[in-house]
Amino acid sequence: MQGWADKILDIDLSSGTVETYPLDKDIARLFLGGRGLGARLLWDLVGPHVEPLSPENVLIFATGPLTASGAQTSNRFSVSTKSPLTGTILDANSGGWWGMQFKRTGHDALIVRGKADRPVMIEIGSEGVIIKDAAHLWGKTVFVTTEVLEQDNNKRNVLCIGPAGENLSRIAAIMNDGTRSLARGGAGAVMGSKNLKAIVVVGNQKNQPKDRDYFRFMLYETGKLIKASPLTSQALPEFGTVVVMNIINEIGALPTRNFQQSQFEGAEAISGERMTDTILVRNHACWACPIACTRLTRTSRTAGEGPEYETTWAFGAQCGIDDLEIIAEANYLCNDLGLDTISTGNTIGCAMELVDKGLIESDLRFGRAEMLHDVIRDIAYRRGIGDGLAEGSYRFAETYGASELSMSSKKLELPAYDPRGMQGQGLLFATSNRGGCHMRGNMLGPEVLGLPRLVDRLASQGKGGIVAVHQDSAALVDSLVLCKFTNMAVAEEYFARILTAITGETFTADDLMRAGERVWNLERLYNLREGFTRADDTLPERLLSEPVAEGPSEGFTVNLELMLEEYYQFRGWDEQGVPTPVKLAQLELDKLVEGAGT
Amino acid sequence: MPLVKLFGHLRDYAGGSEFEIAGQTVGEALIRLCADNEPLHNAIFDQEGLLSHVRALLDGRDVELAQGLNTALDDSDQLAVFPPIAGG
Repeated sequence: MQGWADKILDIDLSSGTVETYPLDKDIARLFLGGRGLGARLLWDLVGPHVEPLSPENVLIFATGPLTASGAQTSNRFSVSTKSPLTGTILDANSGGWWGMQFKRTGHDALIVRGKADRPVMIEIGSEGVIIKDAAHLWGKTVFVTTEVLEQDNNKRNVLCIGPAGENLSRIAAIMNDGTRSLARGGAGAVMGSKNLKAIVVVGNQKNQPKDRDYFRFMLYETGKLIKASPLTSQALPEFGTVVVMNIINEIGALPTRNFQQSQFEGAEAISGERMTDTILVRNHACWACPIACTRLTRTSRTAGEGPEYETTWAFGAQCGIDDLEIIAEANYLCNDLGLDTISTGNTIGCAMELVDKGLIESDLRFGRAEMLHDVIRDIAYRRGIGDGLAEGSYRFAETYGASELSMSSKKLELPAYDPRGMQGQGLLFATSNRGGCHMRGNMLGPEVLGLPRLVDRLASQGKGGIVAVHQDSAALVDSLVLCKFTNMAVAEEYFARILTAITGETFTADDLMRAGERVWNLERLYNLREGFTRADDTLPERLLSEPVAEGPSEGFTVNLELMLEEYYQFRGWDEQGVPTPVKLAQLELDKLVEGAGT
Repeated sequence: MPLVKLFGHLRDYAGGSEFEIAGQTVGEALIRLCADNEPLHNAIFDQEGLLSHVRALLDGRDVELAQGLNTALDDSDQLAVFPPIAGG
C-alpha cells in the first residue's frame, strides 16, 4: 500500500458475515481517513432513527493515509459511532501501537455492525478474519484481557473493553495496548452492546511511500522541527501534559469543586512539577513518536501509566482532592476498568456538589480521597450510587432535578478549563460536535501559551474565527491521523508534502485545511440531522450567569452569544447555525446533502 | 517586595520556587533575579527580551498584553514565570 490500503473490512456480528470492499478514492481524497473517513461512512450507515446502543449502530475503526508509514506519530487511529452519552456523532482517537498494526493488516477501516448472540472477539491476521468465542474473557478487566490475548507491542495488539463497557456505562472507553484509550463519549458501551469484547490485530503489510526519497527528506525536515521546538523536545518530554496545571491555576481558569471556583489551593500538589519530583519513573513513547510525553509512574502501592493533565484535574481539583498518589491510582483503575477519566472525575465532582447541596445523601463529599477508588469501581460495575453515575453527569443530576449542576455541553463532561477565564475555550466547548471537549481544537495555545500568538483570554470579540480555524485544524490532524502535539512544531504545509510523498497525489496545505473544514461541516450536518439546533451550542448556566467570585478571572462569565454570532458568520452558516448552500458547495458537501434529502 | 514565582525547570536553575525581589518593572525584577545565574538568565531571556514561549504573568495576566518587560510592579504583586510548556 502507498498511503491508503484501498480496502474496508466490514463485519456483521449478527450474521457472522465478513466482507471486504474497496475504499472509494473520492471519499479518501475528500475526507482523508480517521475521523473524516469515519464521519463520511457514518453519514450513510447510521441515521437519526438508530438508538446508539442498538445493533443498528456501528463502530468504525479507521486509520489514515499516513498510518504505519513511519512518519512522526503515525500510530494513531480513531473510532466513530453515534454516542450513547450525547446522541451526537462521535469519534475518539488513540495512540499506542494498535492503529499501526491494524493498518498493516491491509485495511483502512473496520466497520462492525449488528450484535453477537454471545460474547465474542475478532482476530485479524494472516489467517484472515476470525470471530471467536470470548465467554472466558467477559467480566475480565482490561489489563487481564490484554495479557491473556498476548499483547506484544510491535507484533500483536489488543483492543478491548473492560467491565464498564460490558455494563453499558455511557462513559465507558475502548482501550488499546493496555493503557491507551478511545475515551470520550461512551464508545465502550457501544462495543459492549454488541457483545464484542476484543479485537486482536496482527499485520505484516507495509505502508511504503510512492516517492521514498522525498518521504525520507520530509521526515528529516519534520524531525528537525520537532527537535528544535522547546515544546516538543523539552516541555512535553520533561514534565508531560500535567505541567499546565500551575499556569491554568495562576490565570484563574482551573475548575475547582465542580466549577464553583476557578483556582485550587492544592494545584501545586498535583502539578507536573510535583509529579516529576515524586511518582515519575520515566517517560515513554507511542510507536514512531519522538516526543514521548507519556509518564510511567509508581505510587507507594502500585505502578502504571499517567495520569495526564485532564485526568489529574478530574480526580484532583474537580473533586477537591490534592493527593497525587490517589489520583494516579484512580487513573490506573479507570484504564483497567475501561472508563473515560474526564467524564468519570467530572461526574463524581458533580455528585459531590449534589451531596453538598443536600440533594442526595452520601458520604461522597469534596476532598474525600479515600472514597475515590471505590466509587470508580462502583461506576464500572454499576453498584449503588455508581449505577447512576455510570450514566454520566447530566443524566445523574437530572434524576435529582438538578441537571444545571452537570458541567457538560451536549451532555459530554467538560474538561479542565473554566471558560469564564478563557472565553474562546467556552465557545470551543459550546460548538464542539461531540460535546464539551478540548481535543476539537484547543484555545489553550492562543489564550494562555501564546501559540501561535497570544490573544487576550478574557476578550470575546474576535474569538469566532480563531476557534473555527483551530477546530478545522484539529479535524485535519484527526483525519490524517496524527498526534496534535506534532502540530505544535510541524505546520500543515509539511503534512501536505508528506502526504504527497506517500500517495503520489499532490496535496497542498490549503487542500488539507479545506478537508478539515469539510469534516467539521459534515459532523455539523450529522448533528443537525439528529435534531440538534443552535440551542444546543451552549454551556452550563453556571458558566453563563455566575461570575467568577475571586482571582484573576473575577467578575467574568462566558460571553457566549456574541462569540456564537461571530462564529456562525465566520463559518458561513446561517443564524441558526446551519451551513448555507454556498458553504456546502464550496466544501463539495452539497450533493451529499441533496442525496440524503436533507 | 514583589513575589516572583518560578515553574518547571526554572526552579532547578534558581534553586527554589519563590523569591521576593525588588524591582520597579517586570524586567528589572527578573534581571535582578538572574544576576550571577547565567543558566537561569539564558532560560528566561534572549537578546530581544523574554525567550520565545516563556510566559510571565502578573497577577494572572500575561505581561505581553500589558507593557511587556516594562510593565510596572507594585510591592504586593505576584509575578509567575513559566518556561516553555505544553499539554492539555
